[in-house]
Amino acid sequence: MFQTIFNQEISPVKESKIFETEIMSQDTIALASVEVFSSSLDKYAFGSTIQTISETDLEIHQGLPLSDYLLQRTGLFLRQYGSGMLSSLTMRGTSAGHNAVFWNGLPINSPSLGQSDFSILPVGGFDNAAIHFGSGGALYGTDAIGGAVHLTNKLRFEEGHKTQISTLFGSFGKWNQQLEYGFSDKKFSTRTRIYRNFSENDFLFRNITKMGTPIERQANSQIEQVGAMQDFAWKINNKNLISTSLWWNETKREIQPLMGSNTRDFQSDQNLRWVLDYFHFEKNKVWNVKSGLVRDDQSFNNSFNQTIQYFLAGDLDWKINNKWNSKSGIRFTHIQGNLSTYQAKESRVELYQSTNFQPFEGLGFSFNLRQMIYDGNLAPFTPSLGGEWKVWTNESNQIRLNSNLARSFKVPTLNDRFWVPGGNPDLESEKSWSSELGLNHIFKKETFELNQRLTVYRMRVDNWIIWLPKRNVWSPENIREVHNTGLEYGLEANQHAGEWNLNLKVNYAMTRAINQTDISENDRSKGNQLPYTPLHKFQSIIMVGKGTFSTFLNYQKVGERFTGTDGSGRLDPYQLWDIGSNYNWSIRYLNGSLGFQINNLFNTDYQVMPLRAMPGRNLQLNLNVRI
Amino acid sequence: MKNLRLLLPLIWLAFFVVSCNDDTTGPTDIPVGEFEKGVLIMNEGAFGVNDGEVFHYDPSSGAIKEDIFRAKNLRPFGGLIQDMVEAEGRMYLVANTGKVEIVAPNDFGLLGGVSLGLNITRSLVVVNQKLFISDWGPYDAGFNNPDSYVAVVNDLNGGPIAKKIAVSSRPEGMIVAGNFIYVACTAAQKYDVISASSENLTASIKVEGNPTQFLEIEGRLFLYAIDDNNAIFHEINPGNYALVRTVKIPLANPTPIITLGEGSEIFIVTSTGWPDYTDAVAKVSVNTGQVINGSFYTGSGLYGIGFKIEGKEIYVAENNGFQGNGSVSILSPTGQKIKTLSVGKGPSGFIFK
Repeated sequence: MFQTIFNQEISPVKESKIFETEIMSQDTIALASVEVFSSSLDKYAFGSTIQTISETDLEIHQGLPLSDYLLQRTGLFLRQYGSGMLSSLTMRGTSAGHNAVFWNGLPINSPSLGQSDFSILPVGGFDNAAIHFGSGGALYGTDAIGGAVHLTNKLRFEEGHKTQISTLFGSFGKWNQQLEYGFSDKKFSTRTRIYRNFSENDFLFRNITKMGTPIERQANSQIEQVGAMQDFAWKINNKNLISTSLWWNETKREIQPLMGSNTRDFQSDQNLRWVLDYFHFEKNKVWNVKSGLVRDDQSFNNSFNQTIQYFLAGDLDWKINNKWNSKSGIRFTHIQGNLSTYQAKESRVELYQSTNFQPFEGLGFSFNLRQMIYDGNLAPFTPSLGGEWKVWTNESNQIRLNSNLARSFKVPTLNDRFWVPGGNPDLESEKSWSSELGLNHIFKKETFELNQRLTVYRMRVDNWIIWLPKRNVWSPENIREVHNTGLEYGLEANQHAGEWNLNLKVNYAMTRAINQTDISENDRSKGNQLPYTPLHKFQSIIMVGKGTFSTFLNYQKVGERFTGTDGSGRLDPYQLWDIGSNYNWSIRYLNGSLGFQINNLFNTDYQVMPLRAMPGRNLQLNLNVRI
Repeated sequence: MKNLRLLLPLIWLAFFVVSCNDDTTGPTDIPVGEFEKGVLIMNEGAFGVNDGEVFHYDPSSGAIKEDIFRAKNLRPFGGLIQDMVEAEGRMYLVANTGKVEIVAPNDFGLLGGVSLGLNITRSLVVVNQKLFISDWGPYDAGFNNPDSYVAVVNDLNGGPIAKKIAVSSRPEGMIVAGNFIYVACTAAQKYDVISASSENLTASIKVEGNPTQFLEIEGRLFLYAIDDNNAIFHEINPGNYALVRTVKIPLANPTPIITLGEGSEIFIVTSTGWPDYTDAVAKVSVNTGQVINGSFYTGSGLYGIGFKIEGKEIYVAENNGFQGNGSVSILSPTGQKIKTLSVGKGPSGFIFK
């Protein structure tokens, strides 16, 4: 079946849960596994598309921003304000704050900004990632209008001592270094990881804002990041498990100015995240109590902003019978905001219920409900209903159909409501309805494997908050309505021949996000694509491997974008090629990998965002040593 | 610095009075170019995108040419345009992102620029074949600008800064009269006086309100300043830079956005600001010190204003919330909207040729 056809580590799309054994036997299998148990992300997501990014995928990107990986290797587009600078994800034509980001199940979007900066989430700060495409409000809560990103740590038992040293050198003074030590037996597992990622980031670029468009070296763009992680798991007995993770990360950045600008801004971000899980296993039941905190300190020049989120949650995942699964939960969040212009406290409580129904093999439904109350206000009630159906199968082929209807919401951020001056305490939550239909085709014949998925979606987002100038003060309003339609296509093909392996991955996204609102008589926004939202993004990578050696060629093309809501300010499309090789080596007790990569092979001059210079051709060498 | 139409003749006049140099490249020697007639529309651009542009509008044909700097020079201006000043056969495009680009007025072909050493540049005047550039200087920790200056460049086509003359905080508009360069310093609530010959600060005079620009009204020199409830016009003796008198016109929420109409009539954009946001254009008389019409025109996002002598039309620029491009409403002398133009991002000023 599908589970056996495709290894999860390399699959570009979510595997069907219909065939997962975990659903049927989580009470006994979970602790028997070497991997430390954690709640399944996609268990109640029938009908949704989830793409997994494995440790192997991330290995050669050691210490680099997650934003770089997502731009290079997926169909997603991020608004990247310069090399290594603020990078905000847009999914399915929604805005930067319209996706939820989780670390080991804790939501880590800043409650004051309402979004995450993917440039300060380094690869190495987590083990793997999953991307949930599309509306996930009922599953995940606020922000998940366009989708959700989950970063998780994977701890294992019974591995003994394990040490890993990862090094990455690159152009423009890039030097990323990570040291990891772990130990585990049958009952305990611990892992410590420290890292430092540094880049002078002084690449050459053509300054198109100066007479003669001279080639200049980028100034004021140095980045230094240090961090530490500690994971711990204790299998008390076969019925009880405690696991905890701590992640501290500090990023100090000179903020790359726009071309032609001489600003010399400096930003420091300190993020502390801690999560504690307690699992209690009974026959057909898993109880989970989760607590944690997320603290974000940000200094921009002399302006300091801090938010702290405390979490306490509990749920029961219950296999009622062979056809029905249920998960019921509650989550309390307390937020403290100590911002440069205001202070705020807020408590949130949310109740959620997820139900799976599988009337027979090959057909599954997920029905999810969530209600949040924030600061005494009811957030929009969010239901979702999704289904997955194995339509047809034979010896080599399998075709599945999936569909999903979901409502989502985003609570106005603290800044939206309380910023002084301009905050608007009367703002309502942004809300959306979305529907999608997907087709998944799996083919396997002898040594050839193919997995492709096509999804079309339609979404309507209302009460969209935008900040407008009121003379000298900007203030937010629930003013915009946007209709999004789009198509996503993913393909993975694999051909084995003896020691040889040929692998191809393709991702394509067509995104129409059409503004339905004019804000004034002379506004010409209605009917136009939202700013900074490419209609097309295409990405593909082809890998050829023989034994322990592999080489790849990666390609991405991003279509034109506009800086204005009325289609003004066109930014040129761009295409980038990367090429690289990797060698997995082994010497006595040591093993590891050695990789070499050339990014932007053809030295393309491009801008993701206007007047934000990006590096030309650059080199990267990475060495991983495991003991 | 919105009232470009008014400043330019005075600058020219002052220049010819004090200048001893022959000007062999005066405008009478140059054939009238494509952009030396019609209306130049300054579009400031959006913060963080720095997409300032200049559009050209031909009122006779109704044709609009977009981003004429880019069209000629094949690259974006790449800055927020704070001011446009025409002098010595050159057009100076002043960016508050710290640069000045110098183009030929006939076709906007690039002639030179000042790109090093500026911070938050506001305006420019030309005296004695030199450029005097007002600049807020860098922000300090409290977002104040204690180190403001006027930069001196010894070449009409730009180049390195030869000297920085320290002035009071946040210099805005400037004017040349006699041997003096007058600088409106809005945060300091002063006007500073620089000797054009010695290039030193001669005086710094406190005034009521926050001054933003100078005007020549019926042959007299005025400094325009605002407070929350008044439009204030300080008359200055250009011979000895003394403050002669102050005309205080009761007007709620005036902004620095003004233009001189007929005689001593001034059109002033008013704005209630946040949270009860309403913009309007008021018409006042400096001679009588009275408001003629407090709501000559109402709207939102009013960001620039100009008066076209021919036809006595009022051009009102609207920024449309900086979400996309802005627009310009052309009003009749009675305030009726005649036409609306689609222009660039954040339209903020005009030069009528």
